[in-house]
Amino acid sequence: MIVAVAVAARVPAPPLAALFAALSSRLGGAADPLPDDAIASLVAQARAGDGGARQALYEQFVDRVFRTVRGLLRSDADAEDVTQDAMLTVLTSLHTYRHRPDARFAAWVTAIALNTVRRRFRRRRPELTATGDLPDVPADATDPVEALDRARQRRALLIALAELPQRDREIVSLRYGADLNASDIAAAVGIGAANVRKILERTRARLGDRLDALLHPDGGTA
Amino acid sequence: MTDEQIDETWATLEPTFDQRRRIDARVFSWLEARDTTLVAEWLGLFRLHPLPALGLVSVSACAVAATPPVLWVVLALV
Repeated sequence: MIVAVAVAARVPAPPLAALFAALSSRLGGAADPLPDDAIASLVAQARAGDGGARQALYEQFVDRVFRTVRGLLRSDADAEDVTQDAMLTVLTSLHTYRHRPDARFAAWVTAIALNTVRRRFRRRRPELTATGDLPDVPADATDPVEALDRARQRRALLIALAELPQRDREIVSLRYGADLNASDIAAAVGIGAANVRKILERTRARLGDRLDALLHPDGGTA
Repeated sequence: MTDEQIDETWATLEPTFDQRRRIDARVFSWLEARDTTLVAEWLGLFRLHPLPALGLVSVSACAVAATPPVLWVVLALV
C-alpha cells in the first residue's frame, strides 16, 4: 500500500497517499505487512499525534487481529466486537508500548487481542461449538464457485478448531492467525518456547488430519 | 496437510468486506469522538441542528439558574 511504503521510507505521506489509504480502508483492503523497524517508526509517529501513522498501524493489524480471534470465539459478531475493542485499546495505549528487540509490536498487539478474548470469556462464557453460526459467503467475491469453496474451508477450519482444547486453540491461532514465532507465542500464553513448539507440532498434525477428513471425506487428498 | 495449506485455509478467516467496513466505522467514529473537543461538539451541534441546540442551551441555562433558589426553599421547608 502506498501510504505504508511512504511511511516506511520515513517520508511524510502526501495527501494523495492519505486518500488512497482512506479509500483502501473503505474498500476493506489488506495492507502489505511492514518490517518491524517500519512499524516501530509508525508507532513513534502515531504517538506524536500523526493521524496518518495511526491509520497505517490500524491497517497493518486489523485483519490479523480478526483472523486470530475468530477461531477462539463463537461467532463472527463476537470476532467483530473483540477486534474493535482490541484495536481501540491498541490505538489508545500506544504510549504504554516499550520497544525492545525481544518485544515485537505485533506480539504486543496480539497479547491485547488475546486478553480481550479472555475478558469476553470471563463475562459470558460462550459454549464454543463448531456450528455456532454458518460461515457467510463473502458478498464481494467475484467467483461464486471459489466463494463456496472458501466458505467450505472456513467452516471445516472452525469445526476443527472447536474440537481443540482451549490452550492449543490459542497457540495455533497465534501461529497461523497472528503469524507469531514460538518465542512470541510463549510470552503471550505464559509457557516455555520449547513447550510451544511441541504443542504446535502436535496440534498442526491433528488439525491437518481433521481438515483433510472434513474437506475430503471420500479419502482424496488436497 | 502442509504448513502452507493450513496457512491458506486460515486465510478464509479474514473479515469479509461488510465485517471490515463495520469494524472500521466503529473504531474511527470512536476515535473521532475521542479526538473532538467539547467546544467543537457544541459548534457541530449548532451547525447541524441550530434550533434544538438553542433549545437545549436555554433549558440548561434555566435549570442552572433555577436550582439554587429551589434548593434554598426546599431546605428552608425541611
